Amino acid sequence: MLRVIIDILIGIGAVFALAGTIGVIKMPDVFSRMQASTCITTLGVLGVCLGALLYAIFVMQHPSTAVKIVVIAALVLTTNPVGAHAIAKGAYQAGIRPEKKMETDDYRRDFDE
Amino acid sequence: MQKTRFPAVVTTFIVSYAFWILLTWSFSAQELAAGAVVSLVVALFSARFFIHERAFWLFSPLKFAYAVIFWLGVFMVELVKANVDMAKRCFTGCKNINPGIVKIPVDIKSDYGQAALANAITLTPGTITMEITEEAGQTYYYVHWIDVAKPSGKEAGDAIKGTLEKWLRRVWE
Repeated sequence: MLRVIIDILIGIGAVFALAGTIGVIKMPDVFSRMQASTCITTLGVLGVCLGALLYAIFVMQHPSTAVKIVVIAALVLTTNPVGAHAIAKGAYQAGIRPEKKMETDDYRRDFDE
Repeated sequence: MQKTRFPAVVTTFIVSYAFWILLTWSFSAQELAAGAVVSLVVALFSARFFIHERAFWLFSPLKFAYAVIFWLGVFMVELVKANVDMAKRCFTGCKNINPGIVKIPVDIKSDYGQAALANAITLTPGTITMEITEEAGQTYYYVHWIDVAKPSGKEAGDAIKGTLEKWLRRVWE
């Protein structure tokens, strides 16, 4: 029973990672691709980490491993948005624009030209 | 450059030491002593970069409870909703998108609160915070939104922030 729950959690993580990967390949421009990649680093990582956490606690019974899994999840979740924000801003200021015109673009209105 | 203050050093020391214990997870006297020395040195050098405002806010039990409820409860619900939405768009061929950058007003004064809200917005799939500016005392975020449903301003802000802002204001004010 416990193994089934662990497998389901890891499966959920894998499904969201797959969704993010499809998005990264098929989205039309840089910013939309970054949006899709966030799927991988949130529920993809969280699902796998939660499954691994249950495995470490109940099957391995090894508290040291469990604590390290929690630290991994916390660090991924706190450092990822900083990088995403920096890459998006950097790409925009380097002059990358989507081919299709954006719905609204207040950033260009206030900072460009 | 900010000066190194004593409360900031204490807080940084506690955080570094907690991380040391979590990563080593061994409670022999040698490990604990070495960790204390290393954490103290790290705290002395990095406290002025790490703590800019009140140093002890997280040690108030009520704020800590709010922070735990926010990050493990409210935020996780928002995260799962946004993830399911994004996964649907990806699996149906990435055609159903309508990207744009909107400007939304934010009513959090604390620097940490603003950073936490920007990170929370970036972490939910579908929105990325690109820039924080201040105009006439009002803070604005520029947010890249995968599916622009409302024009810039308060309505877009409510749609993007949801309940996140309310909870973060409870944690930081």
